[in-house]
Amino acid sequence: MRTALFLLLAALVPGQAFAANQVALDNLVFVERVSTDAQGKQRILLEEPKVVVPGDRLVFVLNYRNAGAQPADKFVITNPMPSAVRFADAGDTRPLVSVDGGKQWGLLADLSVPMTDGTRRAAQPADVTHVRWAFQKPIPVGGTGKLIFRGVVK
Amino acid sequence: MMKAPVGGAKHQLLPSCSLLALLAAFALPMQAEAAGTRAGSTISNTASASYDAGGGPATIDSNRVDLLVDELLDVTVDSSNPADVPTTPGATGQLLTFSVTNNGNGVEAFGLTTIANAGGDDYDPAVTQIYLDNGDGVFDAVADTLYTPGANDPSLDPDQSIAVFVLATTPGTVIDGNRGIVSLVAAAKTGTGAPGDSFAGQGEGGGDAVVGSTGADGTDAGAFAVSAATVTLVKSAVVTNSLGTADPIPGATITYTIVATVAGSGSVNGLAITDNIPADTSYAPGSITLGGTALSDAADADAGDYNGTRVNVALGTVAGGQSRTVTFRTTID
Repeated sequence: MRTALFLLLAALVPGQAFAANQVALDNLVFVERVSTDAQGKQRILLEEPKVVVPGDRLVFVLNYRNAGAQPADKFVITNPMPSAVRFADAGDTRPLVSVDGGKQWGLLADLSVPMTDGTRRAAQPADVTHVRWAFQKPIPVGGTGKLIFRGVVK
Repeated sequence: MMKAPVGGAKHQLLPSCSLLALLAAFALPMQAEAAGTRAGSTISNTASASYDAGGGPATIDSNRVDLLVDELLDVTVDSSNPADVPTTPGATGQLLTFSVTNNGNGVEAFGLTTIANAGGDDYDPAVTQIYLDNGDGVFDAVADTLYTPGANDPSLDPDQSIAVFVLATTPGTVIDGNRGIVSLVAAAKTGTGAPGDSFAGQGEGGGDAVVGSTGADGTDAGAFAVSAATVTLVKSAVVTNSLGTADPIPGATITYTIVATVAGSGSVNGLAITDNIPADTSYAPGSITLGGTALSDAADADAGDYNGTRVNVALGTVAGGQSRTVTFRTTID
C-alpha cells in the first residue's frame, strides 16, 4: 500500500534523522502521480514509492544540514544519475551537470556531446550523467537546505 | 573547473508554497514509452557531499533509496495489410497478417482473439484459424504454428514482435465490392484494465504488474474486399435468304451472334462459349469468328472449333468490364 501524500504535505516531510556528522545529507525520492478528481481537475500527488514503472516521473529531494560546530566550506553535493533514470530538470537550482560520466562539469546549456561524425551537438537533459551543486559560501552552523531535481524512469 | 551557481543564501527550507509552484510548473503529461527499464530491476540513488569544516576535506554519502521497477503491461497490434485483401465468394484460407508487439518491460504472454462481426462492413468473414509465424514473416501452414488459445499463447520479450496470420472463409453469398473486416485482439495474460490498474505481485521480478497506456490490450483491423465477376451471354440471330427477306425458308442462312459480357471488379477464368447446332440446320463450315476474326473449325491453336454437333470458343480469362463477341452461321435444311 503506497502512502499518498499531498504535495503540500510532501514538501514538509522532515528528512530522516541526520547522523551525528558534521554535515548530514538525506535523500528522498518521490514519484509524481497525476489524478483527476470528479470535477475533472488534475491534481499532482507525490508518493513515496516502493515500486515504479517506465515513464514514471521521479522527484529527487536532497536535504542537507550542517550539524557541526563549524561552518562547512567548499560544500559540494554530487548525485550520479541512476542509469535507469533520465534527467529531466532541476527547477531553478541551476546545478552543474556532467554529460560524460563526471569528467567535465558545466551548466547544461554550455555542454555538448560528440557525434559519431566528429561534430558536437548541444547537450540535452537526457545526456546528463551527474548532477552537482557547488556552494560559494560556507554553510553556517545549523544551516539547512533542500535541493531538487527530477527524472523519468527509462 | 567548479562553478558556483548556487549562492549561500539557500540555507533555509524553501517555503512550501514555492515548492508547490515549482513542482506544479514541472508537471507534464505521462508519455507512453516502448519497453524501457526491465521489470524487476532496482533503481538505486545515492548522493554525496564534500566540504571542509576546518578539519580538512571530508566526504559523506546520503542514505540510499532503492526503487523496484514494476512490470508495465503494454501491447500493440498492427495490421500488415495496408489495403483491402482481394477475395472471391466462397474462397477458403483467405489470409490477413497482423503484427503483435510487446511494448511492456517484461516477458509477457498474450491471448489472441478475433472479431469479425463488429459491423462497419458488408459481411462477416468466417475466421477458421490463427497461425503464429515462425519468424520469416511469411505464412506457411506447415512451418508456422497453429494457435490454440490458452495452450500456446505467444510469449514475447520486451519490444519483441510476432507476426500473426488469420485465415478466414469468405461466404458464398457475397457479391462484388463487399468488404469484410476482421480485427485481431491481443490481451496480456496477466490482465488488462485501465492504465494504472495493478496486479499485485504478478510482475516479472516480483513486483506488481501495472497496466500501461494501452490498457494491456491492443487491436487492429484488416479487411477483405470481394472482387468478383459475372458473365452475361446474349444470343441473337439474323436470317437471310435468296429472296432478300428475313423469312426462315429452307436454304436460308442464320447468323448467330453471342456476346459474352463480364461485369465486376474481378475476372473470369476459363470462360468458354459452347453452342449446339439446332436440329434441322447445318453448320456452315469455317463460319466461326471471334471479335470479327475468323477461326478454323479444327481443334487447334486458335480458340474455336466445330466437332460435328456444337461450336466451341475458348475465351480464357476475361476481366470485368470487357466483352467478347462470337458469331457462326447455319443453313436451314
